[in-house]
Amino acid sequence: MKNLLVLSCLKDDNFAHISMHIMKERLDDVKAGVEKKASELDADVIYLLPEGEKVEGLEGDIRFGEYSPTLGNPNAVAKVLQGQLPRPMIQDDFVAVYDEKAVNVILPEEAYLLATGKNVRFVAVTKDDKTEIKEVEIGTKASEICDATGAKAVLIGGQKGTFVKPESLANYEISADGPDYAITVYGQDTCMVDLCVQLMTQAWQSSCGKCVLCREGTLQFKTIATEMTTGKAKATDTDLIKEVGQLIELGAYCPFGRSMAKPFISAIELFPDEFDDHIKRKTCKCGKCYKAAAVYLILPDKCIGCGDCVDECDEDAIEGKPKFIHMIDQDMCEQCGKCVDACDEGAIVKWEDGKLPKLPKKLTKVGKF
Amino acid sequence: MGTVQLTIDGYKIVADESKTVLEAALDNGIYIPHLCHHENLHPNGGCRLCVVKQDGVDGVITSCSTKVREGMVIHTKDEQAEAIRKLSCDFMFKTHPTECTGCPKYGKCQLASISQYVGDTGRDLRYTQIRVTADESNPLMLHEMHRCILCGRCVRACEEMRGVGALKFEKVDGRMRVVINGASLEEAGCRFCGACVEVCPTGSIRDKVGVFDENLPRERALVPCREACPAHVDVPKYIRFINEGNYAAAAATVREKVPLPEVLGYVCVHNCETNCKRNYLNGPVSIRNLKRYAAQQDDGAWKEKAFQKPDTGKKVAVIGSGPAGLTVAYYMRKLGHDVTVFEKLPQAGGQMRYGIPSYRLPREVLDKEIEEIKAIGVKIECNSEVQSAVDLKKDYDVVYAAIGTHAGNKLPLENNDLPDVYLNADFLRAENLGNPLPVGENVVVLGGGNVAIDCAETAVRLGAKHVVMTCLEAADKMTASDEEVTWAKEDGIIVENSRTFDAIVAENGKVTGLTVTGIEGLKFGPKGPEFTRIPDSTVTFPADTVIFAVGQHPDVTEAFGLELNRGRIVANPETFETNIEGIYASGDCVTGTRSVIQAIGEARIAVSAMDRYLGGDGNIEENLAPEQDANPCIGKATDAEKAGRHEPKTTEPCERVKNFDPMDLGFDCSAAGCESDRCLQCDLRLQIAPQKFWSDYVPEEGGAQ
Repeated sequence: MKNLLVLSCLKDDNFAHISMHIMKERLDDVKAGVEKKASELDADVIYLLPEGEKVEGLEGDIRFGEYSPTLGNPNAVAKVLQGQLPRPMIQDDFVAVYDEKAVNVILPEEAYLLATGKNVRFVAVTKDDKTEIKEVEIGTKASEICDATGAKAVLIGGQKGTFVKPESLANYEISADGPDYAITVYGQDTCMVDLCVQLMTQAWQSSCGKCVLCREGTLQFKTIATEMTTGKAKATDTDLIKEVGQLIELGAYCPFGRSMAKPFISAIELFPDEFDDHIKRKTCKCGKCYKAAAVYLILPDKCIGCGDCVDECDEDAIEGKPKFIHMIDQDMCEQCGKCVDACDEGAIVKWEDGKLPKLPKKLTKVGKF
Repeated sequence: MGTVQLTIDGYKIVADESKTVLEAALDNGIYIPHLCHHENLHPNGGCRLCVVKQDGVDGVITSCSTKVREGMVIHTKDEQAEAIRKLSCDFMFKTHPTECTGCPKYGKCQLASISQYVGDTGRDLRYTQIRVTADESNPLMLHEMHRCILCGRCVRACEEMRGVGALKFEKVDGRMRVVINGASLEEAGCRFCGACVEVCPTGSIRDKVGVFDENLPRERALVPCREACPAHVDVPKYIRFINEGNYAAAAATVREKVPLPEVLGYVCVHNCETNCKRNYLNGPVSIRNLKRYAAQQDDGAWKEKAFQKPDTGKKVAVIGSGPAGLTVAYYMRKLGHDVTVFEKLPQAGGQMRYGIPSYRLPREVLDKEIEEIKAIGVKIECNSEVQSAVDLKKDYDVVYAAIGTHAGNKLPLENNDLPDVYLNADFLRAENLGNPLPVGENVVVLGGGNVAIDCAETAVRLGAKHVVMTCLEAADKMTASDEEVTWAKEDGIIVENSRTFDAIVAENGKVTGLTVTGIEGLKFGPKGPEFTRIPDSTVTFPADTVIFAVGQHPDVTEAFGLELNRGRIVANPETFETNIEGIYASGDCVTGTRSVIQAIGEARIAVSAMDRYLGGDGNIEENLAPEQDANPCIGKATDAEKAGRHEPKTTEPCERVKNFDPMDLGFDCSAAGCESDRCLQCDLRLQIAPQKFWSDYVPEEGGAQ
């Protein structure tokens, strides 16, 4: 069977879009690397770029697709070329086929290293929402390329990475076989729980969906992290994340699946008190979480115990009996807001402040609270 | 191909080097849970249930996609591997409905079976309901994708195995789903092969209730045409031969089960078509006409493969030379017995010659196939009426009676004994003997079956000007086939449905008409038809001739020597032996008027019973057609396949009513080819391995550890 070499610019981590950087800044070297590899394999070449991107000076068979962490895998690339969702295949002797050719994949960074023979890696350093992509010698300490003084945490390795404290940055060296290099600096005003919600939402979106552990794991993590910011999470959830996360690291199908839990686990390990505050005390010191997530509540001094709101609630989330102050069970409340209109007294409000007012914990007679 | 030795759970195993660890384990009775793996599909590796520990390798390996290697040491019950399996199982149940007992797949679900084996951890994970509404728009298959666990077996089966690709993965609101690759299955090029249903481990993709008979074993239920045929002719196989252009092989396939293939090609009642799965889509495959086309191209090559056992010296007498009698004679002779057929009428063929008119079944076709039967040494003695089967038995080792139903039924109507009142059997026989009974200008036929149509059409061809058929049944409930009713109407026959017959009107001993009354609410109860008469709906159809076509019965009396029940010969339904040992009977004379294929199907069973009675093994199975390697990769549906049913060419009504020449001209090569494309190849589904459960591998071990 003839060979096909695909230069995939779509495998990039969300935090390190280095492929297009290399394509644009080092195109001649990339082309040389691809040509070298293609002649070794006696292969035709296809360039796979992100949708809507353009590279000056790049000619040949150019195709487009969407980013996916699986697009370093030949079968995932073959599927995308066929117009399907990426689906990696990792198996002894497996040959991915597209257009009756055996698919081989090369990344721009690999092509660049192949052409130049350099001993470097590209690292995307993000600080204060600005990303700089640097070409870094192997062996360089992370602290040398990134100043994280005064920061709260640094994520090394992007979506598959680990959170570290700024002071331990010197312990990390850039290595040849390391993960996709992204170093992201987070300031003191960052809420780690809220950040985990974002990271796990991204992981869930990035998961190709083939493997149960990654597909359902990212969904669970996203759901549980979100619950941590809305007061629905349980005290046991941090241990659950760690236990499940470690099993996923061991058992997931592909490198992305095996690493996607790392940011969450390392954040919990690095900032246990912050997670505890969110889960047990339902507060967010950074004022991000409980502020963003509005809750509906019944003001105890206004409720007359008429029961109109109970009838309106589809979730049966309102507890109460005549002449008693009614209460909304926040675990059951779906925040539809219908009860607000049902209350003629204006006792039900959408509460957007992080700090909740004092509320009755059990049924209390109107006027007795 | 070499072999390697490896150790799984302490057992030394020798496996072919092409095998995966999972295959090697399963082949040796060691069960490793697996779900996305299916033995007919390429490995996938997504479900993470088949992970195992390999000595010397960090973490776990995926056993379904790791090849065996020399000296490997595998532990299937490793602690880590089991923990991962449990997690995977936990995860799958967090998006799968929790209530199993309400699921149609309850008790046959692989997911439930695996979770039973793997066990539940009770982890506090979050449940997410997958909200997808059921898609019942397809008449054959049902999608309830809220049960889908995304193993992807359906997508892979459709793409890899079938080359169709009607299903695909898609992200909907961020969630992976299996969806139809187009607006509908039809538009997606679906061939309705059912491979997706066959491989789905849960109740997500299923056959609609009623498409297959759930009380039958899988091998029979999944090929409804073959199952419906009384002789179980392998319909998909011969249609596939026709599709390949190998007509002789198709003819040989039919010949494996029936000795009158071409006759059936003309007159079979085709239960196969009634049960064809394509009925649910755009009309059944025109199976009978395909058979006819194939039989016409028969080159006789099958004869070299046909069995002929050495002579046994046993003497067999067959009474009646209809389809049942001829079938018995043919196979009994092949089994080595000395067979003599006794036929009352001047020529062999029974109802095929003296009932079915020649415009439906050309006599040269019948003659040719009877010659084939005579050619192997069957003796047929015509004009030989047997008065008593019991007397005949004295000279024969076994006697088989298939005397048919050659006497017509007469309803107790006033004037039913007048000379212008005929019975169906007499009327048709007279015409076929060359002495047709005279018909007047106006003829009324009583009855709504195929025989009634034969009578009406014969009357037209004998010169009747106005022919009316009238029956109790409504138009959509008539027992005559739709096709024949259509043709009858084309030929000017008027069909009057939903009428009860009141009286035959006569003047001076001559029939003048038939009085009928409209009815509604027809039901057939234990005491016969029940209905309500519609007031003021009585009319009289003018008639010079009235023909009863309301059933037939055997022309037999107690003198024949066999036990009778309501005029029919009594025979054991499994062996067809009568009350007299060594005398067998089947066909219409036992069951009442049925069909050629029914007679043949029962005759085959009777043959086996009689051969065993004579000391043989009763085996009449034979492989006359070449081996067929059915290609499972059928590709997307083409326009030809999606096209409607092809109808045969027929002669023009104005011409055909003038004579008894064949009117249905059947298919030509191109029509046969196109029509064969429409076959859904239901039998391909039997190539797919049935779903197995852990108890199929480890019958003695317990469940969850």
